[in-house]
Amino acid sequence: MQSANTLLKKIARSSVLPFAAQHGMKKDFFPLSRTLSLSLCMKQDNSCSPSDKIDLDEWKKVMKSGLQEVSETVSEHKELSTLAGARELLEMWKLAGRSVPENITEEQLKNFIECPSKSAQKKYLKFLYLKELYKKNDKRKMIEKRERKMEEQEEESKLDNNKRNSFIYFRANSMDKACNWRVAQSMIFGQSLVFDMSYEKDMSFREVTNTVRQIVLSESFNRRSADPFHIYFCNLKEDSLYQKEFIKHYREAWDRLLVTATDQCYTEVFPKDKLIYLTADSPKVMKTFDHDKIYIIGSMVDKSIKTGVSLARAKRLGLETAALPLEKYLLWSSGAKNLTLDQMMHILLTLKDTGDWKKALEFVPKRKHSGFVNKPVHELKKTLSLINTLKLGKRQEEIRNQFAKNYSKKLTQK
Amino acid sequence: IQPPEKPLQSEEWNRLRESFSSPEIFEDVMLNSMINCNSPIDVAKSLLTHVAKSRGDIAYSLLVKYLALCVQQGKTSEILDMYDIMKVRFKVLESGAYNLLIRGLSNSDQWRMALTLLEEIKKIMTPSRTSYESCIKAASRHQEMNLAFELYHEMLDKDLAPTLDALQAFFDYNRGIKSAELQKKLFGILFYLRDNQIYPHKTFMQSIKLWFESIPGGNWRGHLTNIEDSGQCPVCNHQLEDSELTEEEYNNLRERIIRDVIHGTDTFRKTSPQEFEAFQTFVENRLPFDIVIDGLNVSHMKQRQKQCENLFNAINCLAKGNARLLVLGRKHMLINSSNWRKELMKEMQDKAEFFFAENISEDDPFLLYATLRSGKHCKFVTRDFLRDHKACLSDSTTQHLFRKWQRGHQIAFYSSLKTMFLSFFIQQPALRYDCVVQTTGDTWHIPYKSIFEEKYSYQVPRKWLCIQQKG
Repeated sequence: MQSANTLLKKIARSSVLPFAAQHGMKKDFFPLSRTLSLSLCMKQDNSCSPSDKIDLDEWKKVMKSGLQEVSETVSEHKELSTLAGARELLEMWKLAGRSVPENITEEQLKNFIECPSKSAQKKYLKFLYLKELYKKNDKRKMIEKRERKMEEQEEESKLDNNKRNSFIYFRANSMDKACNWRVAQSMIFGQSLVFDMSYEKDMSFREVTNTVRQIVLSESFNRRSADPFHIYFCNLKEDSLYQKEFIKHYREAWDRLLVTATDQCYTEVFPKDKLIYLTADSPKVMKTFDHDKIYIIGSMVDKSIKTGVSLARAKRLGLETAALPLEKYLLWSSGAKNLTLDQMMHILLTLKDTGDWKKALEFVPKRKHSGFVNKPVHELKKTLSLINTLKLGKRQEEIRNQFAKNYSKKLTQK
Repeated sequence: IQPPEKPLQSEEWNRLRESFSSPEIFEDVMLNSMINCNSPIDVAKSLLTHVAKSRGDIAYSLLVKYLALCVQQGKTSEILDMYDIMKVRFKVLESGAYNLLIRGLSNSDQWRMALTLLEEIKKIMTPSRTSYESCIKAASRHQEMNLAFELYHEMLDKDLAPTLDALQAFFDYNRGIKSAELQKKLFGILFYLRDNQIYPHKTFMQSIKLWFESIPGGNWRGHLTNIEDSGQCPVCNHQLEDSELTEEEYNNLRERIIRDVIHGTDTFRKTSPQEFEAFQTFVENRLPFDIVIDGLNVSHMKQRQKQCENLFNAINCLAKGNARLLVLGRKHMLINSSNWRKELMKEMQDKAEFFFAENISEDDPFLLYATLRSGKHCKFVTRDFLRDHKACLSDSTTQHLFRKWQRGHQIAFYSSLKTMFLSFFIQQPALRYDCVVQTTGDTWHIPYKSIFEEKYSYQVPRKWLCIQQKG
């Protein structure tokens, strides 16, 4: 019976169906009844011929054409493995216009399956999609740039400029050497700066990779600065995720890097009273940069805002803490007060060189504040609240009274 | 863009397409706006025909959009056709198309196919709760109650929260049936509401009421009412369950507060082990307290008054009737300043016990601990909603316990401007009864919310459905 059904289905699909579908007639799920209604429809077909009207269901014919071959392969529907199934699903999502990457590796696919929830899956896919997009854009720009360069070179080749080319090359190389020389010197005589690498278990995989990226940036800024720090990576365990990510970034250069990496804690390396832990949660605000102290930065990217993690670490070890005086110098508007590691590095390097807070805090992202404060903050707040109350029209009299009082005070003082 | 009102010829579509600013996405944008305007499907069909003719194929995204339009208008035969086409073209479909197909088919006489589709989805992912909702509704509508309950339990097994509409369907389609087994199952749903502290909305409440009243020979009668502060139902004079936690729940909550809120991942984040130990011995030596006060929170009650005066007023207000008070503060309160005057602090310390935490410690965990340690009669005063501490608790059952305990034990002060000179504070009393679905066998009390009422997570509805059985 079943085989007869499938046979019927095939016949119906291959020959008559496109005809019938043309009229959008109602079909049933069961193939047997379908053939019945087909014949009914055929009769109708004779009665009216929509020749000059638009054939509204023609597209179905197109979609169903060439079905025979396809349907046969599909009919051997075998169970898909989860991995292949996921790949299939992603393919469909791509067709449906969702943010899904073009290519996905086996490893990424596994990560995708292991996501704990649907929204996590969605987020992960979007992340991969955007990453792919940026990469593609970068590549395109690179090619454009190369082409432009080639054109320029062709133009320049008319002139004789072999010398200039070799000159640029020479300069870059010697710059490198000079930088390395300065860093090597700082490793003997320079001020130390500690990155505390003990936050691995407080972070997700992506947060760790972001952290390492930021540290790599910081290290390169430091290397190129006039008076670099001697960088310490403390609590860096062998075979930790941090370490693996570092090696991914630096490759063989990791062993030649002019930093001190150790699995010891900073309290074992330095005297405790010289250490200051920098954390945005600290109740103490940094006033000046102290050249005799050793500052510690927590190597942590904290996307989910876990407050007090680094402060807890400092409390446990009984270390002094400090926060940057962001409120004092900047009119903070939005965003968290924790800055990225490379921003911290810029700020500390500038402070070290100049001691100028204004210059140093230029590196705080502009979107987070609305400019520098030129008066003491409490005064500013006072005028701000005055403006607000005036705007709201509340308690106007009170303010007027206060004003009058102050004014008369001033008069009497004179 | 505005979709046309009548089906267009290919040439006309071409013309429209060229006039559109970005022709490459013309069809997608057009179909989207057709969905928005609920255009007749013939118009969409003519567009698809045009696409098929000019390109020989139709993109999947367009098919899904057309399907959405069909579902929106309940065109069952079209939906079936679409399923055939898509099934042959593609090995598997993705969640969007499946959801649409299930929604469309469950409303038709082909509803069983929706169930087959649901099975198909399960092979590649977890179906969405709305897909389940559609299937449950369809099964209930066709009196396949066993099937509907099977789906419902499957959802619970998969940790999917059933939608209120799906639950409502059970009550809507079982009216007038006398069956002990069915009754038990529907009571099970009411217990699900109770356990998860879910409040039905008004129409759902009506369904419940009608179902109860329809049970032949059940003699159930429902009334809408408001429960008084005393916790007595004005309709049946029944006293609602009080908000006290059981001994086990209480101990459980206390353990979890210590473990998750105070210690968490690192005790140093909120306090330090030494400080917490000192606090514990402090509390043990002076137990039990009647009211624990968050000193800093209370002291900010009125902006215009000095902070210590605010606290002083609150303590005076609460100290009546020889209640034992504990005030939690921070060390900086002890330094003589304009806000914290030394004489006043001295006077307060005669009336209440004080504990001063470090300036960088959090005082709320201490507040919770001291209150829970003092016993069930002890209340606490703060205007803080304690959301962040609730969030520290790791599972939803404990969070529900916390909310329940908080409702019963938190006193909040609000200063009112009008009565400023008469009384200093308006006291919001802790609720004496528990606001959950509850039963005594021959009565049911079900809190509900009106649909448009905005309700915060810490608020509870004040409207109730009282159902009683007249023997």
